[in-house]
Amino acid sequence: MLFEYLLRRLSLLLFMVFTLTVFTFSLSYLFPGELLANVSGQVNPSFSQSQQLTEKYHLNEGVIVQYLAFLQRILHGDWGVSLSSGQSVFDHVVKLFPATLELCVYALGVAILVGIPSGIVASAYHKRWPEKVINSLSLLGFSVPIFWLALLLIMIFCLGLGLFPMSGRIGLLYEVEPISNFILLDIVLQGFPYQGLAFVDALHHLALPTIVLAMYPTTVLIRFTRDSMLDVLEQNYIKTARAKGLNRRQLIMHHALRNALLPVIKQIGLQFSTLITLAMITEVIFSWPGVGRWLIDSIYQRDYPAIQGGLLAVSMFVILANMLAEFSHTLFDPISRNQAHGKV
Amino acid sequence: MAKFSLFSEESNRSPLSRLWRKFKSNHPALVGLWVFVALTLLAITAPFIAPYGINQQHGDALLLPPSWHDLGDVRFILGTDDLGRDVLSRLMNGATYTFGLSIIAALVTTLIGVVLGTFAGISKGLRSSLLNHLLDITLSIPSLLLAIIIIAVLGPGLLNTVWAIIFALLPQHVHSVRNLVVEELSKDYISAFRLDGASKLQILVRGVLPNIYEHIVVIFTMALSTAILDIAALGFLKLGAQPPTTEWGAILAENLSLIYLAPWTVGLPGVLLFIAVLSTNLVGDGLRQVLKGRKVD
Repeated sequence: MLFEYLLRRLSLLLFMVFTLTVFTFSLSYLFPGELLANVSGQVNPSFSQSQQLTEKYHLNEGVIVQYLAFLQRILHGDWGVSLSSGQSVFDHVVKLFPATLELCVYALGVAILVGIPSGIVASAYHKRWPEKVINSLSLLGFSVPIFWLALLLIMIFCLGLGLFPMSGRIGLLYEVEPISNFILLDIVLQGFPYQGLAFVDALHHLALPTIVLAMYPTTVLIRFTRDSMLDVLEQNYIKTARAKGLNRRQLIMHHALRNALLPVIKQIGLQFSTLITLAMITEVIFSWPGVGRWLIDSIYQRDYPAIQGGLLAVSMFVILANMLAEFSHTLFDPISRNQAHGKV
Repeated sequence: MAKFSLFSEESNRSPLSRLWRKFKSNHPALVGLWVFVALTLLAITAPFIAPYGINQQHGDALLLPPSWHDLGDVRFILGTDDLGRDVLSRLMNGATYTFGLSIIAALVTTLIGVVLGTFAGISKGLRSSLLNHLLDITLSIPSLLLAIIIIAVLGPGLLNTVWAIIFALLPQHVHSVRNLVVEELSKDYISAFRLDGASKLQILVRGVLPNIYEHIVVIFTMALSTAILDIAALGFLKLGAQPPTTEWGAILAENLSLIYLAPWTVGLPGVLLFIAVLSTNLVGDGLRQVLKGRKVD
């Protein structure tokens, strides 16, 4: 049963990756501008150069040959050259993606730490004031436009109170050697340079973007956890447990929680796509040097190879994150294996 | 949830009026509905009832604060921006772009979603899978990135962002409509209907759709709140509506440099966006609660 399920999932994964690569490949035809420039990132090549490039990218041959060559290049890490910086797109992605990932992971961590307990509290106090307060707050957080929230927080905490810095990952005073490109990890790896002040400064820089980015996933998790808990608490086995004389605390801790949190695992994985959209906006506002800001700069500069590379990296990441969440959900929850067979 | 209700009262009202009675008792949702209706009316009538034109400049009244401020002028209730344009008129017209266009985007999404979803729901095997997963690829592309790509291909503009938003929202809606249809098709009354000799079309039109349309309205409100936020976000990033279009996100971005001098030009569009999304979510939540309660009955 599990094997069949995995097989179905895997075929869906392959299908997704296939459509993604075809879509990315066809973009060099769809984007305005010359095909050769879009593919190679070389603007105005000389005659011999363009001959060479045409040869390299198989532009004289059929579309299928071109697509296969494209796949080969992607696998070898040759993602073309950025039109605006003249450097390899792959290097850009490797350098910038960890910054975005770092922000997303911390935001998701905050969302999990705040969202799930609040959801549990809300369901435990169903139809009483704690639930009402949590519900209203989550609805407010759910509805606030993220860029406006970011501006408000900047106005209050940066311009008004001066508590947090407005932009960047770390103060200009500190120089941290990029090893893994995750800034906190880098600082730890270098043994807390500047007597730990760099670490504190990096945390200060992280605070506001993380709060802004965490707002939406937190509210989603609160609502989802609460709904899932309420569903479980309606079940008959909970009534049985209650009839046996368990108090509410035991009921929730030992019986309801495990089953209620199963769908939440899946939901966490599904958050990544939205999270990256929101991260792009957050990065622009807080000048966070991540892949989102780079992509938005690329569209301003009409840097097509960069957009292609960014699309490929980000979407592959989202697909893998979704699959991982799905797999872990299936591992933990045998029922979902039986009924669904990987049909969504 | 009591299995037996002792004082059962026969209720012969139509499902719709029962829905309305339950919805009415949820006051926040009702307020949300009124705000929603008001915004819709504003979106339709804004060009006719706005006191000034959106690009009408008043050279004698630059950067006036709102009228309740000491320096304010009652001619401009919400003040003016750096070109002496009336903020109130611009914000009223913004409802047409941000709210009106979002409604259109959400309607189109829901319509296509219902068509594709029901087809995926009533077909079986490979065809169902194909219809269901046809647009899945856009699930893995973050919506803003998809918008960026569509803008890169078609060029920036408000209408192109609407297409981007529709594409980004569509797959989830196809999935949820399909799940609704499949769930409904497995119920006994549909089997009875089928045994009576109903054709596929009859089952769909007479059996399934009347029982899921309320859920589709909930889906619509979800699409709408996402669409509002996305249109505004794209306007804010200068990828969607271009100034001097009065889209709320674009107004916000345009006045960002005035945040110190004239905070009201940045704050007010955000407040309106917040109200628009909040009212939509209130209506959606209220509806969902009523529908959930109905299952218990």
